[in-house]
Amino acid sequence: MKRYDLMIVGAGPSGLSSAIEASKYGLNVIVFDENEKPGGQLFKQIHKFFGSKEHKAKIRGFVIGQQLLEEAVSLGIEVVLNATVIGLYPDKELVVKKGDEIQHYKGDSVLIATGASENMINFEGWTLPGVIGAGASQTMMNLHGIRPGERVLMLGSGNVGLVVSYQLLQAGCEVVAVADASPRIGGYGVHASKIARCGVPFYLSHTIKKAEGTDHVTGVTIAEVDSRFQFIEGTEKHFDVDTICVAVGLAPMSQLLKMAGCKMEDNPKKGGQVPICNQYGETSVKGIFCAGDVAGIEEASSAMITGRIAGTAIACELGFITEQERDENYSKNKSALSELRQGMFAPENRGKQIEKTEEGIDTATNLLKNGFLSENEAERIPGFTHNKKIHPVIECAQNIPCNPCQDACPKHCIRIGSHITALPAVDTEKECIGCGLCVASCSGQAIFLVQEEYEEGFGTVTMPYEFLPLPKKGDKGFGCDRSGKKICEAEVLQVRTAPAFDHTNLLTIKVPSDMVMKARFYKSAE
Amino acid sequence: MEKRLQEHPVLGKPEKGKKVTFTYDGKELEGYEGEPIAVALKACGVMVHRYTKKEHQPRGIFCAIGRCTDCVMIVDGKPNIRTCVTPLKAGMKIQTQYGVSDKPFNS
Repeated sequence: MKRYDLMIVGAGPSGLSSAIEASKYGLNVIVFDENEKPGGQLFKQIHKFFGSKEHKAKIRGFVIGQQLLEEAVSLGIEVVLNATVIGLYPDKELVVKKGDEIQHYKGDSVLIATGASENMINFEGWTLPGVIGAGASQTMMNLHGIRPGERVLMLGSGNVGLVVSYQLLQAGCEVVAVADASPRIGGYGVHASKIARCGVPFYLSHTIKKAEGTDHVTGVTIAEVDSRFQFIEGTEKHFDVDTICVAVGLAPMSQLLKMAGCKMEDNPKKGGQVPICNQYGETSVKGIFCAGDVAGIEEASSAMITGRIAGTAIACELGFITEQERDENYSKNKSALSELRQGMFAPENRGKQIEKTEEGIDTATNLLKNGFLSENEAERIPGFTHNKKIHPVIECAQNIPCNPCQDACPKHCIRIGSHITALPAVDTEKECIGCGLCVASCSGQAIFLVQEEYEEGFGTVTMPYEFLPLPKKGDKGFGCDRSGKKICEAEVLQVRTAPAFDHTNLLTIKVPSDMVMKARFYKSAE
Repeated sequence: MEKRLQEHPVLGKPEKGKKVTFTYDGKELEGYEGEPIAVALKACGVMVHRYTKKEHQPRGIFCAIGRCTDCVMIVDGKPNIRTCVTPLKAGMKIQTQYGVSDKPFNS
């Protein structure tokens, strides 16, 4: 039996990051994954990531997946696929099922990076074909190029529900509504706004009463719930749909750790049963570590960092590096991690109602209820400025850890400062040249270029646009407001596409001057 | 509406293997080699993969990543094959599963 310094279960963002880190220090690493392909869920994530440059912000998830894989391959890391780990024992022994074969592996340390599985809720008809997980939607459209359905209802307004709703629209599906039993949208406001301006309505304090159909879904009824989550009679709404997509959270897949005798805790803030571990991700069993979502639900960016932290700590424990080297590495990773854990969506703020932003601005309640900023809410944020000449309008109203817009502007018009969760502000002294780099760099697609005076009575709005068919110069259609309502006629003046924009096209439309601060989407006339 | 995407605004044209034929409950259908059986079936409009043993309720794709086992079918005579993670091959014989075996309910 071949012995390994480190055996990793899960070839997702945290497992691979950890393997890369440990391998760099000279450890002999093997990675197991039950799937046919490595990368975990990264290859389904086609949106641009948040964070800062060191978190790989504004790079799309699947590209980050490719980068990790290339690095792992170049380091010669052994990745065993179609290999389900079915047992973990305290003396660092793994039982692996490959096809019909069972194999044993031994090592000096183990890292569990198994990630999470989707939560489900029951309602009448929930087992009908056509009721699917949000992850299933992503798998179908983004990996296999097939639409999950024509008309979809999304249950869940967390980031997964919002991002997948947007991806459904990108794949050409219709999203009839996003429903959530919570009275507030759970995910980032910018993600909600992306779908709200396409006309997707939000039904908060609503959940599914019934999925309709005999052999497969043909419709859905949702209804309002009271503060104790009981249905309120007479509030039912029906939609004709062929697909119901469920995005109601994730739970850590920590069974292997429990099996190995690691001390566990039930922690709702971490999404369920998680191991108790130290700052490096080491569990109560010496030599068994964990990283990523299995240690508490976050997202891929923090999973990569916790993976690196564990990889370094394992290298130190096995004597490949000194404690000093580990600590230096740890403090660097730790600060990157704490940046991601700040702001309104920080783990400790889960479930809390936030009244004001860090800047002391009242929370945008329309954004939380309807998915878009009301005009008053937009007016009070520092990214929203008026200027006759072309300038960026940044509709970013929540403190989230993200700053690519600040670096994107060659003229330094946009300022976030050193505090990564600060709301971006527009410096009206600096002159915008209309290059649009900020528009394409914003992972939340919340930046627009606005020119109040383009010609007599008309101005222009430049918006990010990631749909097909791409409108062409000269096309006529409608400007839509933040709720997706058609508010004026619009003419396409320019469509810009560049490698630097990474598939976020810049669409410039001409609208009446009094509409430039209202029109945020374009719908063609057909 | 065509279920397969011809082009995606971010991902471009989907990469697919060569076109192959397979049978679904005796009917000849087309799909792409290497894609999950469930995807090929979905493209052909198949929603029901199996019926449950006790209640005879229909089941189809649910998680699409091989976790929930809702989408199992009889593949080349073998029951309980997770069609969402099993790659399609030319000439495969796919059958609706009744219960948990390769036998119909009344046998």
